[in-house]
Amino acid sequence: MILTGLTLAQLGVLFGCAGLGVVSLYLLKLRRRTVLVPFSPLWDRILRDRDATALFSKLKRILSLLLQLALLALLVLALGNPRIGERLLAGRTLVVLVDASASMQATDVLPSRFSAAKDEVRKMVRGLGAGDRMLIARMGADIAPLGPMTGDAPVLERELDSIDVTDAAADFPRALRFANDVLRGVAGGEIVVVSDGALGPAVDASGVVHLAQATLAFVPVGHSGRNVGITQFSVRRYPLDKSRYEVMLELSNTGPSPEEVELQLLGDGALVDLTKLALGPGERLPRFYPLLSGASRTLEAKIARTDGTHDELPADDHAYALLPERHRSKVLVVTEGNTYLEAALLLGEYLDVTDVSPAGYAQAIAQGPWDAVVFDRVAPAEAPRVSALYLDPAGPGSPVSVGKELLAPTFDKVDRAHPSVRYTALEDVNISVGHRLVAESGDRVVGASDGGAAPILVAGTRGGFKFVALGFDVRKSDLPLRPAWPLFVLDCLDWFANEDSRYLSSYRTGEIWRVPVEGAAKQASLKLPDGSLERVAVHDGHAVLLGEKAGFYELTTTSDAKGAAPAEAIPTFAANLVDASESAIAPRDKLVVDGRSAGQLVGFHLSAQRDAWASLILAAVLLTAIEWATYHRRVTV
Amino acid sequence: MSFSFSWRRQKNVAPVESDPFDDDFQRKLESLALVSRRVFAGRLRAERRTKKSGSGVEFADYRDYQHGDDFRSVDWNVYQRFGRLLVRLYAEEEDLAIYFVLDASASMSFGEGKKAAYAKRVVAALTYVALANLDRASIVTTSDRVTKRLPETRGRARIFKAFRFLREVEFSGKTDLGDAMKAFVAQNKRRGLAVIVSDLYDPKGFERGINILRYHKFDPFVVHVIDPAEAVPKLHGDVLVQDCETGEAREVTVTTSVLDQLSRAHARYAGDIERFCATHQVSYVAADVERPLEELILRVFRKGGFLR
Repeated sequence: MILTGLTLAQLGVLFGCAGLGVVSLYLLKLRRRTVLVPFSPLWDRILRDRDATALFSKLKRILSLLLQLALLALLVLALGNPRIGERLLAGRTLVVLVDASASMQATDVLPSRFSAAKDEVRKMVRGLGAGDRMLIARMGADIAPLGPMTGDAPVLERELDSIDVTDAAADFPRALRFANDVLRGVAGGEIVVVSDGALGPAVDASGVVHLAQATLAFVPVGHSGRNVGITQFSVRRYPLDKSRYEVMLELSNTGPSPEEVELQLLGDGALVDLTKLALGPGERLPRFYPLLSGASRTLEAKIARTDGTHDELPADDHAYALLPERHRSKVLVVTEGNTYLEAALLLGEYLDVTDVSPAGYAQAIAQGPWDAVVFDRVAPAEAPRVSALYLDPAGPGSPVSVGKELLAPTFDKVDRAHPSVRYTALEDVNISVGHRLVAESGDRVVGASDGGAAPILVAGTRGGFKFVALGFDVRKSDLPLRPAWPLFVLDCLDWFANEDSRYLSSYRTGEIWRVPVEGAAKQASLKLPDGSLERVAVHDGHAVLLGEKAGFYELTTTSDAKGAAPAEAIPTFAANLVDASESAIAPRDKLVVDGRSAGQLVGFHLSAQRDAWASLILAAVLLTAIEWATYHRRVTV
Repeated sequence: MSFSFSWRRQKNVAPVESDPFDDDFQRKLESLALVSRRVFAGRLRAERRTKKSGSGVEFADYRDYQHGDDFRSVDWNVYQRFGRLLVRLYAEEEDLAIYFVLDASASMSFGEGKKAAYAKRVVAALTYVALANLDRASIVTTSDRVTKRLPETRGRARIFKAFRFLREVEFSGKTDLGDAMKAFVAQNKRRGLAVIVSDLYDPKGFERGINILRYHKFDPFVVHVIDPAEAVPKLHGDVLVQDCETGEAREVTVTTSVLDQLSRAHARYAGDIERFCATHQVSYVAADVERPLEELILRVFRKGGFLR
């Protein structure tokens, strides 16, 4: 035992002086209250009997004195702040990584693995010695230190209380690198991972994470892994029939026993489909639901066990998706007459098409608003403030410069990733004559001839509005005779209207989300699934954020960077866990990093390392209570 | 007729209620008389039978006619039958000397003075009974000596004098019944009934005083005044117990066990007194201060044979 407060000599002097005082006071005769009685011989009769036990009474009084001296000794010893164990004086530096991934929501340990993990950390905090310092970090999709490195137990406990679990996978390599950075230059630093162990290999883009000087300890949480989860969920509308959609999902049974589940599909909150499914141990079951209808906006998938019991991981039992919003687009077609174009536009079920001659364009555009304009072999003097498709543009209003003539150009190179050419086959289109288009910086060459050297299909934005320019007259090609023609026209209009048939129905938690935002807003307000609000920065027309919670989100842009007034409400978007590795909740016994197994956490036994003065004070209080009770029961007097 | 006492609050003077008896109780008292186990010689004619022959109504004996005897007392029937002149003798009826010995020591006024007040009322009631029966009543207050004395008095009208005397009694001093009774018997040559009204808290022993009366041919009667509250005092903790008369002190730690022992000792002490009286043919009545006075006089005293 080592004294970290007063020295032994000081304590001795203190105890001597105080003890002398106690003994002196004890020796002083107790001043008794005088009470008159009518006949004292009656009392004498009693006291004669009691005098026989006088020796015992004296012994009891000595016991009372000894109790008081023991009380004093405990109080004096508490001033010495004694500690048990030499190694504590050296002080430990710990970085505690608390796994806040979705698998920590498992309820095999009640109330949850995450709560159990917090309890484990809380025990560590309460076992900290005087020289120990600790930093607690939440290990989710990112690594978030909860505060500075400190040895202040109340501060650490408050930090611990503030963290919450996420619906995302943990970025273990990143967390280890963070801990390494924190402990760089610290001798004997320790990294403590409190987790169920489902963290994956400690390898990232930079390679295997090496632990420098720090030692790694693993505190396992959880004991079983029975779970069925939705590990894939996607939905899209059919490009040519937007009233229908198809759903693809995948269920995974990550537990060791076969499971039967009931799968519900809900469109706009109403039941669309109900299926009972059986999954063997470890089975992954993909399901495809084509030609569904009945939902216009939201789609949810839910699973529940048929036996009525609850899943151990509810987080992956629910998936969310949004269908691209359908609305009728007003399209202005500026043409002298193009039957092929008119025919292609007729396929657009949600298009209101207005034809106008080039001479009537100025009047027609003023009668807007329009969602898109199609210029057929013309270009306005001034670019319209709306997205536009230019077919063989000519004139000063063209968004791209029109270069030299090309004879028999072909689509030698096509950017398949661009939404305007999705599902189209353009490589074998025959074109008699066309023009080279000169793309500006920031424009995207979607199709090019001459081995990719001569752009003939360019997409981009001008003044915040999208455009697509095709460098040839479709009537001088066989493109209108191909299925690619109406698809191309409708793809362009869908892209303009953000009705992407490859629309991203949901985001995946734990990733950086880039949510498209219209207009020039620099900031947006994000309403999370739990109803809380967050500010999100907007860069290059996208709100960028790290998503960690599954559910429906709502994004609202603001007109200026300060976010004063809401300008435009962006439809909600959905986010899902859909991570098979997180659904596999079976806890691991070992944690291997850099080829080494993490050790066990040692030295945090509460009784051994807790400040002993508190126990001494407690003992003193207990002795006081005993003394009080025995005094009033006349045992020690 | 009713009595009224004006109670003045003064030190060690136990209160006597302003109206100790109501009319009904008083009428009942008038029908009572004190009973003595022994027959004493009186001075004046009264209602007590004596050993003397005289002009009573109860036949006692015959004797031969002597010169000068009243002819009316000659039994002519006997003369006619036996030819002898015999004179009828009748038992003389005289008064009885009754002494009320009131313990006026400090212990009697202990606490709220219940014992003192109760003792005064008992003495007042018995005095009234005595005076109503044409007996000679005398009240004596004692501590370790005879402190005050109401001379022998006779006649119902003297009851006010007795009340006045009782009202002025002060309770103080130590109890020494032995010394007090020695002084009492020296002062009162005429033997009679001696009613001791006391708590009998005598450090030298309650027996001495009673024995002295017995040895001097008095007929002692003990009215033991008991306050039950004294057996269970409201005490707890470390105290210095001091006798209210002697001033003797003793350190005591009062616990429940001690209180139990005290209660038992108190009961044992009262039992010793009663046993002593029974053994020595001394009339004994325990007068519990919580008991109504009327019940004590009309029921307990009559049941004990002290009143008839």
